[in-house]
Amino acid sequence: MTLLEVSGLNAFYGDLQAIQGLDFSVAEKESVALLGANGAGKSTFLRSLVGLIETKSGTIRFADRDISNVEAENIAGLGLGMVPEGRMLFDTLTVEENLLMGTLTRRAGSWTLRRVFDLFPMLEERRAARPAQLSGGQQQMVAIGRALMANPRLLLCDEISLGLAPVVVDQIYRSFADIRAEGTALVLVEQDVKRAYAAADRVYCLLKGRVSLSAAAKDVSLAQLTQAYFGM
Amino acid sequence: MAWVETLINGALLGGLYSLLGIGLALVFGVMRVVNIAHGEFMVLSAFLAVFLVGMFPSVHPLLLLIPVVVTSFVVGWLYQMLIVNRVARQPDPLAPLLLTFGISIILRNLMVELFGADVRSVQLGELSRASLEVFGLNIGIMPLSTLLLAVVLFLSLQWILKRTTFGRIVRATADRRDIIRLFGVKPDRVYNYVMGLSLALGAVGGVLLAVRSSFTPFSGGERLLIAFEVVVLGGIGSFWGALVGGIALGMAQLAGLKFDPNAGLLYAHLLFFIMLLIRPAGIVSNRT
Amino acid sequence: MSRTLILVWATCVGLIAVAPAVVGEGALRFATECLLILSMAQMWNLLAGYGGLVSLGHQVFVALGAYGLFLSSGWLDISPYWTLPVAPVICAIVAAIIALPLFRLREAYFSIAMWVFAEIVAAFTTKSSLMGGTAGVTLSTSRLLDFDWFEPILFWIAGSLALGLLGALYLLMKSSFGLGLMSVRDNDIAATSVGVNVQRNRFIVFVLSAAGCGLAGAVSFLGNLYVGPAAAFDVNWVVYMMFIVLIGGIGTLEGPIVGMIIFFGLREIVTDQLGISAGWYLVMLGVVAVIVMLWSPRGLWPMLRDRFGIDLLSIRRLAPKSDLTRSGTSD
Repeated sequence: MTLLEVSGLNAFYGDLQAIQGLDFSVAEKESVALLGANGAGKSTFLRSLVGLIETKSGTIRFADRDISNVEAENIAGLGLGMVPEGRMLFDTLTVEENLLMGTLTRRAGSWTLRRVFDLFPMLEERRAARPAQLSGGQQQMVAIGRALMANPRLLLCDEISLGLAPVVVDQIYRSFADIRAEGTALVLVEQDVKRAYAAADRVYCLLKGRVSLSAAAKDVSLAQLTQAYFGM
Repeated sequence: MAWVETLINGALLGGLYSLLGIGLALVFGVMRVVNIAHGEFMVLSAFLAVFLVGMFPSVHPLLLLIPVVVTSFVVGWLYQMLIVNRVARQPDPLAPLLLTFGISIILRNLMVELFGADVRSVQLGELSRASLEVFGLNIGIMPLSTLLLAVVLFLSLQWILKRTTFGRIVRATADRRDIIRLFGVKPDRVYNYVMGLSLALGAVGGVLLAVRSSFTPFSGGERLLIAFEVVVLGGIGSFWGALVGGIALGMAQLAGLKFDPNAGLLYAHLLFFIMLLIRPAGIVSNRT
Repeated sequence: MSRTLILVWATCVGLIAVAPAVVGEGALRFATECLLILSMAQMWNLLAGYGGLVSLGHQVFVALGAYGLFLSSGWLDISPYWTLPVAPVICAIVAAIIALPLFRLREAYFSIAMWVFAEIVAAFTTKSSLMGGTAGVTLSTSRLLDFDWFEPILFWIAGSLALGLLGALYLLMKSSFGLGLMSVRDNDIAATSVGVNVQRNRFIVFVLSAAGCGLAGAVSFLGNLYVGPAAAFDVNWVVYMMFIVLIGGIGTLEGPIVGMIIFFGLREIVTDQLGISAGWYLVMLGVVAVIVMLWSPRGLWPMLRDRFGIDLLSIRRLAPKSDLTRSGTSD
């Protein structure tokens, strides 16, 4: 069943057209990778999905509802969550308070504070710490946990691995297995092609705002992917 | 001995001053806007108190503080919703500054035209002159109660911000106003509440100041400057610092008046300026 | 510099020169006032639009300039025309001194601190018998003035000041200094990284702005032959400057001219023709300013200019462009 359906999306970053005629879909419980170089339009796309950016034309349908130009505050309760690029934690709130922010638009589901701490035990030890006192990896875990607390049906992950050591990224990607086991679909936006490719059911490649490749992961090789990424 | 009494009374006055500043600090902390019209709103609330006292002479004036505070909250909410929210999100910091300055001009001159330029005050009769004898010192009851009230309000504000969900939302919105939207919160609505709270707190200060001294429609500027000095002296970002800043200003004010009775607020202003020269971070520089 | 501009400027100079011969004394007085307020507004604009600092205490320079003129003329017992330079010099010195503590404050904090400073100076002036206390100072050397030529000379001074400032500002903005200024306003961190000395540029602008205001203030009070603290330190000076600049457009050179015309036009209509009181007039000013800020934050003139494609002096500073996300600021 299609959870997210995007067709013909056009969005702008200021005066610059960041996305052109984009078609994109995610099925229930699926994991989709969205790859592309810096400036390809990936973050703009995610931000327009959650309603932070206005889209000029095209449609976005989530769980059979048209959310094309709905404001972010109103999309929040529908089950579409995001782990923003750069984590964007609330700096004057503690780890626990950050996580609790996720419960404001909570849907029914199994993700509770207890379960998030089970997923990321390090966070429980540091529940009273502020983001500035955490490592990059821990901050990323808080950001993911915060989004999970709302029990999303689809989780958009923007550049999770950026700036983190490979060991830490491994740990985070391992947690994705648990997240998927709960039935949450994932969109992984990454510059790290190999990592996302390995974790995905399907792959999209974005080049200068357009889709340059769209296929099931098993149907495409890493080499083909790399070519589409660089536009060769 | 007289000097000790002056300093103590100055500290008590500081409680009142800190009440003037806390509203300004709150708004700046959450939305990065300095509400230049803060002083005029305080004067407006004082006028409301005067009118209510006139209309309900049998009710104790201090009880009338309640409807004034509630009204101020509503006014703040509307003010934010209709006017300030439109510029709060612009990256240009000049816009809210000039806008609120414009509002202060409107309010000030409207009050002159509608209420006249006469000097007014809120009369409490005996209570405003009553005092306690403590260790041979005369401590005014109103100033003492005001300081206690200020402390109670500060504690309540701190409790609200740190321990309630609403407070967490306010802090999170202050941190990242667009990310909070991902969690269903409309930043503009949060700002409405914050401005309402700000003007409500300002109303308490404004009315109590009107009890202590008189006011005219032109008194807003004075109050804004005190509020501002309190915030900066205490350290931008520190609420308890505002209390300390207020106390320092109060002491400077009364000490100055003791040997220079016609100086008005000069010595408070001077203390502020000197502190600016030697310790620009303010007296209390840690963030709350 | 384009030939049209030079022509226009020269025409203005000519007009200023002959006006006293053609125009009646009342109208001349009015014109003088217009030109002086325009000069003050231009100075406030220089600081706000190009220096990025809003001063809510600029009335202090108006006052210091006026007092400086009156007192120096009185003490030296020479005609005030000769001591006019004292006004801008005193203001420049004062500005240079207070820049040190004040520049540590950003934005709104700077603005209000300027106001505090103005209050402090006002308080000292009112208490000081040297400065005439609450009674103020009358020009003791008025006997040295030829009153047949008084109004014309004031008009010529005001006119030269306005035109001179306009010309100087134009040249300044076209220079590399001006470019540096505009970059500072919009992003001082980026500006610093390309070698613009932010603090130094702001300092220069602040001092110039103070000096210009001081001179205009001095001439303004000279016309009354009297200066008193209430009128000199009145915060409404800043209200007028701000209104004119806002209406006209912050950071443009021609904007304040438009603003001045609207300001005085409104005043004449409202107070003279309609007989409305000064208080309601100020309310109106405030309402217009608020509406302009809400509707066209860059000011009225920039909006009109874009609408009709006019571009007179083409040196402007645009406020940072509104954000890229829908109804939210980027962090």
